[in-house]
Amino acid sequence: MTAMAGNANRSGQEPGGLGGFGRYAGPATLILSSLAGGPKHGYALTKDVEEFAGVRLAPGTLYEALSRLEGQGLIEALESQDRRRPYRLTAAGALALRVHLDDQRRVADVGLRRLAGGWDPA
Amino acid sequence: MTAPADQAARTAARRAARLLRWYPASWRARYGDEFTELLLAEFAERPRSWRRAADVTRSGLLARLTGAGLTSHPLEPSRQARAGLATAAWSLAAFLIVGGAMWSQLTIGWEWAPPGPGAATVALVAMSAAAAFLAALALLAAIPLTWSVARALKNHPERPVRRSAWFALAGSGLVVAGGRHFANAWPGTGAHPSLPHGFLPAGVAAFSWAGTLSVSSYWAHPGALAAFPAAEIAWMAVSPVALVAAVAGVAGLVRRLELSPRVLRYEAWLASAAAAAMVVFLAGACCWVLAEGSGPGLFHAGAIDVASLAVMMLALSTAQRATSLARKSALGPRPR
Repeated sequence: MTAMAGNANRSGQEPGGLGGFGRYAGPATLILSSLAGGPKHGYALTKDVEEFAGVRLAPGTLYEALSRLEGQGLIEALESQDRRRPYRLTAAGALALRVHLDDQRRVADVGLRRLAGGWDPA
Repeated sequence: MTAPADQAARTAARRAARLLRWYPASWRARYGDEFTELLLAEFAERPRSWRRAADVTRSGLLARLTGAGLTSHPLEPSRQARAGLATAAWSLAAFLIVGGAMWSQLTIGWEWAPPGPGAATVALVAMSAAAAFLAALALLAAIPLTWSVARALKNHPERPVRRSAWFALAGSGLVVAGGRHFANAWPGTGAHPSLPHGFLPAGVAAFSWAGTLSVSSYWAHPGALAAFPAAEIAWMAVSPVALVAAVAGVAGLVRRLELSPRVLRYEAWLASAAAAAMVVFLAGACCWVLAEGSGPGLFHAGAIDVASLAVMMLALSTAQRATSLARKSALGPRPR
């Protein structure tokens, strides 16, 4: 585990990370990554995530994650455009995304290094 | 817009509105418009998808559970505590309605003839002790709540608080008045209401019988039910409504009142004690149904008693979950 684990709070969430999101960490990462490119409303988010990740977020799952992210102050709602409401990344959200992606990259680097270093299928 | 396109838009709007109904009112008030827009865009792209419908259904039910304080979704701590306590009140009420019917059956049976040493005796002692403890806890819980209601009505007589207070008062008043009225018509043993003719004073047995008259297998036998006096059938229909109104009022007050952290901690502690008493009550009920359910007369357990056990187990697990999360929120994080 990373050095961050020593600072984990009661709910297991890393400060600035997405550890407390549990099974919502996946959708949360996708949403935050999408919003890192600029504010978007629900349908634009769905399409953007589908384009860059090949994952289609279902409406219920998308809004569960949006509600949690908003509750944690990682994203914020902007003024409605007609009946569609765009969301944008907050500074705390940007930090959380960076910490989470850094962690994921470390794991990915280890896995790739070990695969390249002589994994034997036999 | 052409007529067919207009018709298609109306159909899509109706479908979106139907799906939105899975979510609680507070969620719809916050996200309803934008979520409807997303659904309409999804319908235009993919008109039919059972996965999407299942996802919205699951998410809506989860939002309802979250609103009831039953998930670990991080609500604001005071709101989580109040939502959990309100759900615990609902669960306790459901538990006591079916459990009370079972208990009254045993107390009345004892009025006619004591069951002798055995599971029914153990069950009735355990259930009675737990019921008395629960009644004491309810009184202790009502004291700060009543004070908060009086203060809220005096300072900020907001409509929802007034409505909840009125529901609680009218519902419980109707249950007590009706219960006492029909208890007088109880076909009992003729013992004086205040004298312990059986296990408990006859008046207690009669009141518990009248208060839970609606929990009856006679609903499944309309022919036999029709032989009952019309007033009694009317009471069987009205008393659950009055009980629901009373509990809805109390739960609404817990949700809406601005209770101090100290009161929330106190109420959460009482709710935990109530959950423990429910375990004792349920153990007594299981003891009777499983060990001595084939006893004579009123000590015979029927299908309705087995169904009651299932309802009580569900209510108990809900109360324990709600109480546990309410306590965590009310007490705050433990110092490390």
